[in-house]
Amino acid sequence: MTSLLKVEGLSVHFSGLKALDDVSFELEAGQVRAVIGPNGAGKTTLFNAISGYARPTAGSVLLEDTEIVHCSPHLIAEKGLRRTFQNGGLFAALTVLENVMTGLHTQTPGTFFDVLLGRRKAVEAEIEIREKARDLLKLMSMDHMADTPAGDLSGGQQRIVEIVRTVASEPPVLLLDEPAVGLSPVARQQMMEIIKRLSGEKGVGILLIEHAVELVMAAADRILVMAAGARISEGTPEEIRSDKAVLEAYLGHA
Amino acid sequence: MQTSTGTLSKRRRIFWLVPLIALALPLLTNPYTQFIANAMLIYTLVTLGFSVVIGNLGQLAFANTAFFGIGAYASAIASTNLGLPWLATVPLAGLAGAFGGFLASAAALRGIRLYYLAIVTMAFGELMRWFYTHTGVLTGGTDGLPVSRERDFGLALTSDTVQFYVFLIITCLLVAGTVNLLRSRIGRAIIAVRENEIATASLGIPTSQIIVTAFMWSGFIVGIAGAMFALHTGRVFPESFGLTQLIVNFAMVLVGGLGSVAGAVLGAVALTALPEYVRAFPGMEEIFFGVIVMVVLLVMPKGLASLLARVSPIFQQRYHRD
Ligand SMILES: Nc1ncnc2c1ncn2[C@@H]1O[C@H](COP(=O)(O)OP(=O)(O)OP(=O)(O)O)[C@@H](O)[C@H]1O
Ligand SMILES: [Mg+2]
Repeated sequence: MTSLLKVEGLSVHFSGLKALDDVSFELEAGQVRAVIGPNGAGKTTLFNAISGYARPTAGSVLLEDTEIVHCSPHLIAEKGLRRTFQNGGLFAALTVLENVMTGLHTQTPGTFFDVLLGRRKAVEAEIEIREKARDLLKLMSMDHMADTPAGDLSGGQQRIVEIVRTVASEPPVLLLDEPAVGLSPVARQQMMEIIKRLSGEKGVGILLIEHAVELVMAAADRILVMAAGARISEGTPEEIRSDKAVLEAYLGHA
Repeated sequence: MQTSTGTLSKRRRIFWLVPLIALALPLLTNPYTQFIANAMLIYTLVTLGFSVVIGNLGQLAFANTAFFGIGAYASAIASTNLGLPWLATVPLAGLAGAFGGFLASAAALRGIRLYYLAIVTMAFGELMRWFYTHTGVLTGGTDGLPVSRERDFGLALTSDTVQFYVFLIITCLLVAGTVNLLRSRIGRAIIAVRENEIATASLGIPTSQIIVTAFMWSGFIVGIAGAMFALHTGRVFPESFGLTQLIVNFAMVLVGGLGSVAGAVLGAVALTALPEYVRAFPGMEEIFFGVIVMVVLLVMPKGLASLLARVSPIFQQRYHRD
């Protein structure tokens, strides 16, 4: 069986600093793989390298057997690998609904001239994705906020809308960079439910960066542990829990 | 808050009342006020094009006067040197302006942003002005270049009233096209690039293409405004496209309201009319003009469009911060 995402020997060196050093792993459909490690371990850099935002100095990334390592971010996203951002990536001035609609941009038919001339094709496409975006918000019980500017939402609501926007196009691979940070315990639990539902029901392969160990242990099928840019361990939550190297490098501090 | 899309687009039809009422305007004007009304239509396009780039796309690009001049000279050159009727020069002016937009976007795409982009694009405008002045064979140099108002598909373009109707049609079409663009996925992507370019790309949106599109559309409509300006004044001069023009255009965008179509119309109309009123104070026009602009911006930092936003949610501005 070929895997959805195959990362091999991926490295990112910033003028001497090995932010990411020779990291390899695979991700299968319907799998949640957590990436954990202390601050500065290189987790976000790993996401950046996979999604085209950081130029890898070595290594390869195969998305459904296609090499994407030198593709630009928008091409990678179009191929079906989408991500969220650690600092949040919503468009504050657009409404919640419009934010989700931007997530459907690549699936909206109609050329520049169709749009310019107000041709029926473009008008109908617009109505269609508006409805679709509304339905997606309804699934997450966020439809009552549809016409609110995204910048007016609470931090937790923003996290949820960003995920709705990112999965709107139903990408097979999803990279979530600390989606539960700043959320209340209840909201964190909800976020983990959402993540499990995406992988379980839709078969999305998910890479998840998360600091809260108990959440990771509950949500992840496999865990990749990083420190100082390198992979120090890999395995199921049980294996990781009892791994000496991990305890020393990471969990030991807690 | 909860306004369904259907009622919003129905209510938007009300906007067609504005040009409909304007149709009757020549009944009320004298030759002098008709001339001013024509200028308002020209500056509506100039302001709208500028606003798309600095308001919606959020790029601090000041190449607007360059687009305006390129359009005006394209029209005059095609008229004088190629003997084309004015109407036929209009699309050429638009394409020339769009090419100017493409050049300006190239600077933005090279990673030149913010103040650097401001300076580079202003230099572009000044370079064009130098070009108009020093390539006399083509542009007539400081003597300017005339635009023929004669042979034009039977239209008596020498008449300001006829010009008004022609300008009104062109302006309405281009404003409608701009509204279509801005309300589409392209318009959302343009704002998304302003808000967070990195996140925009993560949604599969080709951000460079969006930036080029916004600049070229801006150049296109401002270029056409240039052709209208050439016809309106009858002769184009390099001085018309200098820093003063740029500052006045910038003021129109700000007074109307950044990134708002209705604001662009209001800003252009208000600041085209204003100099005619301050003319009553000879020698102090610029001071009055400047002070009034400052007061408006102090009282209404989001421009005249913010007054409209209180009346109807249709006018809500897509500016969250500031
Ligand atoms: N563009 C860059 N230029 C130079 N150094 C960088 C760059 N991006 C990241 N780094 C460095 O790479 C290292 C790893 O950073 P990264 O953001 O990947 O950590 P992280 O594991 O996501 O940490 P956190 O848990 O705090 O988010 C850090 O030392 C950081 O300073
Ligand atoms: Mg990080």
